[in-house]
Amino acid sequence: MANLVIDNVKKRYGNTEILKGINISIKTGEFLILVGPSGCGKSTLMNSIAGLEDVTEGRILIADKDVTYTSPKDRDIAMVFQSYALYPNMTVEQNISFGLEMRKVPKAERDVEVQRVAELLQISHLLDRKPAQLSGGQRQRVAMGRALARRPQLYLFDEPLSNLDAKLRVEMRTEIKKLHKKLGTTIVYVTHDQIEAMTLADRIAVMKDGQVQQLGTPQEIYDNPANLFVAGFMGSPAMNFIPAKVIEQNGTPMLELATSTTVALPFPKPEALKNYVGKTILLGLRPEMITEPQPHKEGQPFVTTTDVEVEVTEPMGADTMILTRVNDAEINCRSNPMYPAAAGSIIKMMFDTSKAVVFDQESGRRLDL
Amino acid sequence: MSNNAISRKTSGVDKALRVALYTVLLVAAAFYLIPFIVMLITSLKDVEEIRTGNLLSLPAALNFDSWAKAWSSACTGSSCGGISPYFMNSFQIVLPAVAISTLVGAINGYVISLWKFRGSDLFFAAMLVGCFIPFQVILLPMAQTLGWLGIANTTSGLVFVHVVYGVAFTTLFFRNFYQSIPGELVKAARLDGAGFFTIFYRIILPVSTPIIVVTVIWQFTQIWNDFLFGVAFSGFDTQPVTVALNNLVNTSFGGKEYNVDMAAAIIAALPTLAVYVFAGKYFVRGLTAGAVKG
Repeated sequence: MANLVIDNVKKRYGNTEILKGINISIKTGEFLILVGPSGCGKSTLMNSIAGLEDVTEGRILIADKDVTYTSPKDRDIAMVFQSYALYPNMTVEQNISFGLEMRKVPKAERDVEVQRVAELLQISHLLDRKPAQLSGGQRQRVAMGRALARRPQLYLFDEPLSNLDAKLRVEMRTEIKKLHKKLGTTIVYVTHDQIEAMTLADRIAVMKDGQVQQLGTPQEIYDNPANLFVAGFMGSPAMNFIPAKVIEQNGTPMLELATSTTVALPFPKPEALKNYVGKTILLGLRPEMITEPQPHKEGQPFVTTTDVEVEVTEPMGADTMILTRVNDAEINCRSNPMYPAAAGSIIKMMFDTSKAVVFDQESGRRLDL
Repeated sequence: MSNNAISRKTSGVDKALRVALYTVLLVAAAFYLIPFIVMLITSLKDVEEIRTGNLLSLPAALNFDSWAKAWSSACTGSSCGGISPYFMNSFQIVLPAVAISTLVGAINGYVISLWKFRGSDLFFAAMLVGCFIPFQVILLPMAQTLGWLGIANTTSGLVFVHVVYGVAFTTLFFRNFYQSIPGELVKAARLDGAGFFTIFYRIILPVSTPIIVVTVIWQFTQIWNDFLFGVAFSGFDTQPVTVALNNLVNTSFGGKEYNVDMAAAIIAALPTLAVYVFAGKYFVRGLTAGAVKG
């Protein structure tokens, strides 16, 4: 088990810069998730950590040892691939023990290790099968078993669940989380699924265009996104972005909200809006902060109730999403399914701006940090 | 009722079509088989019978004398030991040439598909050109090269020529096959600590059986049937069977012994025939496996 330091890593192919100076460091036993849209450089970064691709600049340290120019096999890492990459000609047992065999571990020890891993992952009954005879979930387990058998310093997971169906994906997600808790391993995990990122990570690095946009715990990233991209990428349904004009009332900057009536929303950090009075900014408000009126919240600061017109409702069982239009932007609200909200009707909704965030409309920069 | 009538009518048309289909198939089969049948029955007749009977008349008795003669005592040019020594020559050329060109092709394909380097696509494109160079074009330069290497008129020389000429094809075969192997497999093996040749030997080769069969059949047939390189680059003692067959047919003392010619021709064709019979089904399977993924 080891810590990992990625120090100003850059990667260029000719003139295109894939990684533009990545700085990440995680402690021993931490679960780091690299998340971002396709082409953001997360897989390249993963391959660089593994040593499968060279970096152009910067250093990579595993267990405080500089491994930037070390070959993959000497980095003491194991990787689980998206396609599982099981050796098709070998049985499950041979797949798991191949890495040990390459490292010249005696047969007896290999057998013990295979048994340990197989029991851990509940695949003991599959040891004699070939990968082609396994289901997707079983292959996934074998791929993890192969990584676990070597007890490496660092585990890399490259979108390991994206080939599974939705139900299995949720199951395996929990399984991976349990395994991490049990073994306390250091894991770097690449995904483009922000739910996977939220549920699994100790820390998340949100990437875009070869840069880390934000590095933080899931809650930090959810509540305190560094910029418009992070705010929009994390969370499902996504955060609402409402263009709102900053107006001054009794010397305090407020945000103007036009629905069927016009109201002024208070903002927890009004000083951040001082320089924007008279201008329009983007108000970021998560769907769960726009709800049906809740009696216990009545009268709290930063809570405003106003009328909105319902465009569409999407019942999801536990909640009903209400689509409405505010300041000419379509927004999602999360309400109780019992709350009457027929399409086309005008209903009362409660806007809670205590956790609202504001962004510059052009640059996407967060204004209230 | 009406349903019945329709189905009966359709089945009548069906039957007619089916008969037509089989007729066409039979004619086609006969078209390809007749030359071989003529060869076979001619080889079993004696010279007198050939002269008096027609092409398709059956031999009066099974007579394998001409086969024995073709094998061990017919004259090819000035020597009269049958085609058996040349038959063995052919094996001595074909076996190493097939083995080496297949192995080199496999490693080439492995590198081009799974260990891409800067310019590997260009390298492959250049290699492909080799598939389109006519044999005749390289006769003179190759003769010169063999002279420089000191292996002119030897079996090794012929093996060398066939390997050089065959590698373009074998590389193409293996490259296309390995193209469908996910690159992550090699990455996983590298992280597991396996090197270039270990990965090739332990992981890639074991899944290559279909394409190995295809390549071996292709190369075996090409090299066994080759006449031009054989006649151009072989010495007197190292002639392959195709050249000997030509000499046998063209050497005549007195009357033409068609039965011996035919027997020799069939003998010369037997090995390729055997390869097809034993490995033919893999051939079709492997070709499609290379062409269509999965």
